[in-house]
Amino acid sequence: MSASAVFILDVKGKPLISRNYKGDVAMSEIEHFMPLLMQREEEGALAPLLSRGRVHFLWIKHSNLYLVATTLKNANASLVYAFLYKTVEVFSEYFKELEEESIRDNFVIIYELLDELMDFGFPQTTDSKILQEYITQQGNKLETGKSRVPPTVTNAVSWRSEGIKYKKNEVFIDVIESVNLLVNANGSVLLSEIVGTIKLKVFLSGMPELRLGLNDRVLFELTGLSGGKNKSELEDVKFHQCVRLSRFDNDRTISFIPPDGDFELMSYRLSTQVKPLIWIESVIEKFHSRVEIMVKAKGQFKKQSVANGVEISVPVPSDADSPRFKTSVGSAKYMPEKNVVIWNIKSFP
Amino acid sequence: MPYLGSEDVVKELKKAMCNPHIQADRLRYRNVIQRVIRHMTQGLDMSSVFMEMVKASATVDIVQKKLVYLYMCTYAPLKPDLALLAINTLCKDCSDPNPMVRGLALRSMCSLRMPGVQEYIQQPILNGLRDKASYVRRVAVLGCAKMHNLQGDSEVVIWGPWVNELYSLLRGPGSNNCLKGRLEENSEAGRGAVVHPIKHQFAHHLLKTISKLDQWGQGEVLNFLLRYQPRSEEELFDILNLLDSFLKSSSPGVVMGATKLFLILAKNFPHVQKDVLVRVKGPLLAACSSESRELCFAALCHVRQILHSLPGHFSSHYKKFFCSYSEPHYIKLQKVEVLCELVNDENVQQVLEELRGYCTDVSADFAQAAIFAIGGIARTYTDQCVQILTELLGLRQEHITTAVVQTFRDLVWLCPQCTEAVCQALPGCEENIQDSEGKQALIWLLGVHGERIPNAPYVLEDFVENVKSETFSAVKMELLTALLRLFLSRPAECQDMLGRLLYYCIEEEKDMAVRDRGLFYYRLLLAGIDEVKQILGSPKSDPSLGLLEDQAERPVNSWASDFNTLVPVYGKARWATISKLQRTERHGPELPNPASFATSGPLIPEENKERIQELPDSGALTLVPNHQITAECFEKTWLSLKVAHQQVLPWQGAVHPDTLQMALQVVNIQTIAMSRPGAQPWKAYLSAQDDSGCLFLTELLLDREHVEMQVSVKQNEARTETLSSFISVLETVIGTIGDIK
Repeated sequence: MSASAVFILDVKGKPLISRNYKGDVAMSEIEHFMPLLMQREEEGALAPLLSRGRVHFLWIKHSNLYLVATTLKNANASLVYAFLYKTVEVFSEYFKELEEESIRDNFVIIYELLDELMDFGFPQTTDSKILQEYITQQGNKLETGKSRVPPTVTNAVSWRSEGIKYKKNEVFIDVIESVNLLVNANGSVLLSEIVGTIKLKVFLSGMPELRLGLNDRVLFELTGLSGGKNKSELEDVKFHQCVRLSRFDNDRTISFIPPDGDFELMSYRLSTQVKPLIWIESVIEKFHSRVEIMVKAKGQFKKQSVANGVEISVPVPSDADSPRFKTSVGSAKYMPEKNVVIWNIKSFP
Repeated sequence: MPYLGSEDVVKELKKAMCNPHIQADRLRYRNVIQRVIRHMTQGLDMSSVFMEMVKASATVDIVQKKLVYLYMCTYAPLKPDLALLAINTLCKDCSDPNPMVRGLALRSMCSLRMPGVQEYIQQPILNGLRDKASYVRRVAVLGCAKMHNLQGDSEVVIWGPWVNELYSLLRGPGSNNCLKGRLEENSEAGRGAVVHPIKHQFAHHLLKTISKLDQWGQGEVLNFLLRYQPRSEEELFDILNLLDSFLKSSSPGVVMGATKLFLILAKNFPHVQKDVLVRVKGPLLAACSSESRELCFAALCHVRQILHSLPGHFSSHYKKFFCSYSEPHYIKLQKVEVLCELVNDENVQQVLEELRGYCTDVSADFAQAAIFAIGGIARTYTDQCVQILTELLGLRQEHITTAVVQTFRDLVWLCPQCTEAVCQALPGCEENIQDSEGKQALIWLLGVHGERIPNAPYVLEDFVENVKSETFSAVKMELLTALLRLFLSRPAECQDMLGRLLYYCIEEEKDMAVRDRGLFYYRLLLAGIDEVKQILGSPKSDPSLGLLEDQAERPVNSWASDFNTLVPVYGKARWATISKLQRTERHGPELPNPASFATSGPLIPEENKERIQELPDSGALTLVPNHQITAECFEKTWLSLKVAHQQVLPWQGAVHPDTLQMALQVVNIQTIAMSRPGAQPWKAYLSAQDDSGCLFLTELLLDREHVEMQVSVKQNEARTETLSSFISVLETVIGTIGDIK
């Protein structure tokens, strides 16, 4: 992939911190980044890839920051983006929130991290669990004796360090499914799919070998053997690096040595017909200087289930003023900065 | 950045760092160093405290060490003499008992990037490669790469033993994941010198261990394996089987890397390539709906790339490419392009429905892109699209109307069957068009198809009335032509205003081009109406053009090598301009290819020949016939001269060297050497001499996609006038030959 340098810029394009990995691109090139970005934006041709002369800028935006990688090579774009996102992820785990403030406050540790994340344009250790073992927030304490390299940095099992001990050995499994719906303006559902992830929280000692069996239906669907009633194909099944794919291919067992703590074991996608869980209907009446919007929400899920923390946002004109609300349940709030009215319902129905 | 009082800051820090009290207090000392780094981060020039910082590196505090080393790496190129002082400390740290410190020191030392540092770092790197801590070994491997980068290609000799060292490291029992991932960088840095075709054993070793690497390592190894040439078909398929699971990896980077490797390895097995593309469909689609917009964008670009070769590949998943409200512009535009390309009989209704929704988007750019996309689909599904476009005109929105009219203009040219519908839709549009492009399109339509539009003369009359306040000269020119055309079919209604317009253009217009056009038409009219008809009565449509464009289906191999690079992300056209820029910046001399002459070949068509033969007389340039130059002499002259002119010409399809050579012969340009037809990249070297003895040496370079020809001309005497006429001759020849295709 070969990134020559990585920059973090504030919203005005001023570099907050940078690391020059290869030295083949002048660091001053970054000064051209923001004008270029503005220019392309004006032309309506903004893309996450800009170029000036021989230099390519690949950038992502995270809250108010720009993360920019520069390169001279005809690099592998998706790998560079993936690395930048990984960087954001690592920083966020260190400082909770990655923003201008936290960068200024922690510039020492960011330099340390940038040093370990990449060398000579090649991503190195990017697992924040492992990084946290030898780059700590409490770096200010003068621990001269400690500072050993965890063997995991270069281990065969790169995602778990040896010698982890817990008094109580526990594993928690969460299955999180979210529904992706594409509805057109007339209200007909164009596309619906379920995106699911299985998340594990592991507190286990040593190097445990875990096996996870999925129940039969899913397994049948995976193998495509049986024709169940509402058989739907799991697509894009993806596993964490720790899962032995060969075992999965052979006998459909998911066996793995888990990383410590939270991680995402697998993700999948199901293309099925899903009814929108909450159906919104709206009637908009325009008067001389007034707009009346009536919003009706209808739950379309099983009676015994309850939806918590439902938030319905109603876009309103940007010059809206003195809103008045009447809600049968929950409360509505006008957010002028986003030009929406948010209707909060704690528990639905 | 200039800072107010920056010198004071530096002075103060310098003083603080020299203060023995502060030096004694670790925390305070470190604070001062942190301040130095902070100022450095802000862009302040802190190089004047280099000496003090070197002193500060002698510490047991590892964080302080890191900061100081970071400082050194930043300023070493500015203060190479002082940086040499630091090398001692660094060398000492390289034998520190703590592997962290060893690694850090080695890494910093290799990153110093100043001349002359190589001789100091050689030994530490070698030691590092044999270090017992894998962390240090990893740093050392990358150190090799940096070292190689530093010394350039000159001293490859010392490199030999190093490579062996690296290989043994890889095979050794202590070899570890990262090391493996990194070695390829080394070999890459040592390109030209070492391991060009990867050794059989080594490739297999990598294949065995790849699954244990992290996603970055996997990406690198997959990339590296591109250079491996399997010995047999059997081995090839073994490799493909082994790597099959990477097509479904959770990291999009690895998926793309694996896809590229498969496509390249299976370049002689088109069915395998197809199969691979079918298999990556799922992961690619998932990446297209990924949460990270940039990854999604990159994936969409690659989807488009695949669609160029396998149209309809994603047709059944067309709904995946419907835009959602909150997506950024660049993703929406890509999605619209993709939608355009995967339309088929089954989904056309839904896709058009969706695109129609976009046409009224708040963003004018996006709305116009959607309208042009409908125009693209209209080439195949004319009736439905024209109906939608006509309905859009009813909205009376300026940006929509202008885009629709432009689409109509392009459409009637390609699909004459829709002319009637378009002509019915046009009346009334003129009120909603303000921009130059839209006006030109409307005027063109009124001129060419005016006999079918009842009110055409009156609309044009309005334009004639307002011609004085018209700001765009292109619109005026279009108006002249259109009115003259309309005059041919409806003379009674147009005669008067044509007279007024011509009068205005000739007497009052200040733009020379418009005035000349007016005069030209005036004289043409004097020559008689039959002549005018003969000249302006050109065909009103050319359906074959559309067919030609549709046939642009490209073989997978034409883009496989660009897959998973920046090329598809930029788009071919933009990449061409960018790489052209880069090439002119570092244009090195290239040796001409071995010659493969061809003497007999099909003659170029008669009419073309005539056109070409007229050319040499057109400029001040006369090329000497039968000019002779040997290949050796050409090579020598070529290498000794600078490029006088470089430009890129459009090209279509494969080259027929014989035809090209014949054509060049006609204008007295000799072919010195030429690649075989179909070679990648295809090159030709040409030479010509004019009557004053000035030599023109030319290199033609056809890019991989066969879409453009890069022409570089060198001249032994700098004369710009003859150069430009020579280039125009060359341009015509290449243009003519390109047209034949």
